[in-house]
Amino acid sequence: MNLIESLLVALGGLASNKMRTALTMLGIIIGVGVVIIVVAIGKGATKSVTDSVNALGTNILTITPAPSHVRINAATVQGSVDVPDRLTLADATFISHNFKKSIMAVAPQVHGQVQIVLGNTNATTTLTGTTTDYPFVNNSTVSTGRFFNAREVEGSLKVCVAGTTVASNLTGDATSNLTGHSIAINHEMFLVVGMLTSKGIAGPGGDQDDVIVAPITTVMRRILNKQVLNSMTVRCKDAPTMLLATEQISNFLRNRHHLHPPFPANDDFNVRSSTELMARIQGITGTMTSLLSAVAVISLLVGGIGIMNIMLVSVTERTREIGIRKAIGATPADIRLQFLIESAVLSLAGGIIGIFMGVGGALLLAKLSGWSTIVSIGSILLSLGISAGIGIFFGLYPASKAASLHPIDALHYE
Amino acid sequence: MNNGPLKETEKMLIPEEVTLLLRLRDIHKNYTIGGQEVRALDGVDLDINHGEFVAIMGPSGSGKSTLLNIIGCLDAPTSGLYELDGIDVSKMDETEQAHVRNQRIGFVFQGFNLLPRTTALKNVSLPLLYGHHHDMVAIATAALTRVGLADRLYHTSAELSGGQQQRVAIARALTMNPPLILADEPTGNLATKQSEEIMQIFQGVNDEGRTVVMVTHEPDIALFCKRMVIVRDGKIVEDGPVKDRRIAKSA
Repeated sequence: MNLIESLLVALGGLASNKMRTALTMLGIIIGVGVVIIVVAIGKGATKSVTDSVNALGTNILTITPAPSHVRINAATVQGSVDVPDRLTLADATFISHNFKKSIMAVAPQVHGQVQIVLGNTNATTTLTGTTTDYPFVNNSTVSTGRFFNAREVEGSLKVCVAGTTVASNLTGDATSNLTGHSIAINHEMFLVVGMLTSKGIAGPGGDQDDVIVAPITTVMRRILNKQVLNSMTVRCKDAPTMLLATEQISNFLRNRHHLHPPFPANDDFNVRSSTELMARIQGITGTMTSLLSAVAVISLLVGGIGIMNIMLVSVTERTREIGIRKAIGATPADIRLQFLIESAVLSLAGGIIGIFMGVGGALLLAKLSGWSTIVSIGSILLSLGISAGIGIFFGLYPASKAASLHPIDALHYE
Repeated sequence: MNNGPLKETEKMLIPEEVTLLLRLRDIHKNYTIGGQEVRALDGVDLDINHGEFVAIMGPSGSGKSTLLNIIGCLDAPTSGLYELDGIDVSKMDETEQAHVRNQRIGFVFQGFNLLPRTTALKNVSLPLLYGHHHDMVAIATAALTRVGLADRLYHTSAELSGGQQQRVAIARALTMNPPLILADEPTGNLATKQSEEIMQIFQGVNDEGRTVVMVTHEPDIALFCKRMVIVRDGKIVEDGPVKDRRIAKSA
């Protein structure tokens, strides 16, 4: 009996019991669907992280304060009462003025959640205080108006630029131009001097357009009342100078903060490159993806056991048919092939339906939640392979059982 | 051995020289049912030549069906020798036996044993499927025409009468053109008129030179055969030509 004939026989068997066939396939459909959706979310998250890092540029260093216990320990070790401030505006100024060989610009930053009011509408957003180097370091541009200038930073003037999501939250229209309007930020009136060009990147990292940027001096003194920075972003000349810049900045900060070796254990700051950051986030999403995939694989396993169960029932029900086939010359191999093909078709059909459901689910999820999802050909091929494999593996036992039936016993089965 | 003078019809259709088709020697078959050993066959010796038409008779439980199953390679003897066309089939493995059943033997059962929800044509094609034939539809159609069912090719078993179903089963037994046709109570489920139609087909098949071995418990059906073998308690107790043989009338 050739393969096409066996396939037709198997399809006939499945078609004669449609409801049972559908229910049996459900386990595989769900398993495959979930694998595809989970992989699509994982890939989408990874891509949006990569995109935001690429938008920022790759020769970027981010300096953040380390957890405070490290700093207290360092102070205790040196026995000094002169505990220095953590990252300060003066640090940023010093770095930008002294390491010209490796560093192009430094943007010190403070962040805070603030309430903003325009007319009768209010909203919350992230306020970032920074210097005039911010657009260059952060790859940001203004679409209308201008960025604030050095004079406004020195004078702690109440001016700001706003992102498109802020405009949309305040006016209901992301394209509206707030330039020239006054916005109350935590009850202080700020003049909007420009609109930031949309970065258009939404993802697990948050909406990068939901932001107001203002002079760091103004934000530190008048709004957030902070003495230290949340971070410094440093743009290096090119990729090869990043190592030199990291070393220069670390040495400078260790000196200034009176730190003692061993380093980097006693550092009270972290210097991270954007690529390092990307690798870390990708590591996390990768772990999540593999975890959820493991869950999905377990559901595929359960689906496979369901198939085995139904195939065993089917073998029992069709014992007489097996007897007839054997009596007229079917070999054990013919019978085994017939049932193996039946379970493989069952599982593979479930897999194909699952792929359609998974792709549809991923697209729907992207539409509803705004997460970016990427359906990969690899996950589709993998699912196909897995479902065919499940069908054959879990069909093997019932098929062998059918093949080994004694012709007389099978013929006399009632 | 025990072959009488050849009749005219046999002379035309089988080799001039009478040749042995089946040779069974000291066949034993034991079953264990509920811890008790049952001797279904207890030392059977039987020779059947090409072209014979044999009825195996006996009370129920005598072992006649077991004997037919062993002849048909559906069951293996516990001990003894069984040669089909000079080949020892009792030593064959399952796959080889399946090939023997497919190529050399056609089965007809009491309960017809057609596949349910399957057309007559598909049922009759089934042995060809396992025999790797190509022009399946043509051969199956010819076989069904032969048994008078040319107008029922696409009817399923449920749409056919008992007699018609049995004719489909005979067509299925004939598709591979086997030298040996085995029938287990082929008329057991049929009315007298239909039984006679079936026996007419068997007589036609035998006239072509095919050997037919049939189990029956109806003496009037056995009268259509040429030779009668009576089995009792697992042994052959009588073996001889049928006297007053009936010839089935064409319907």
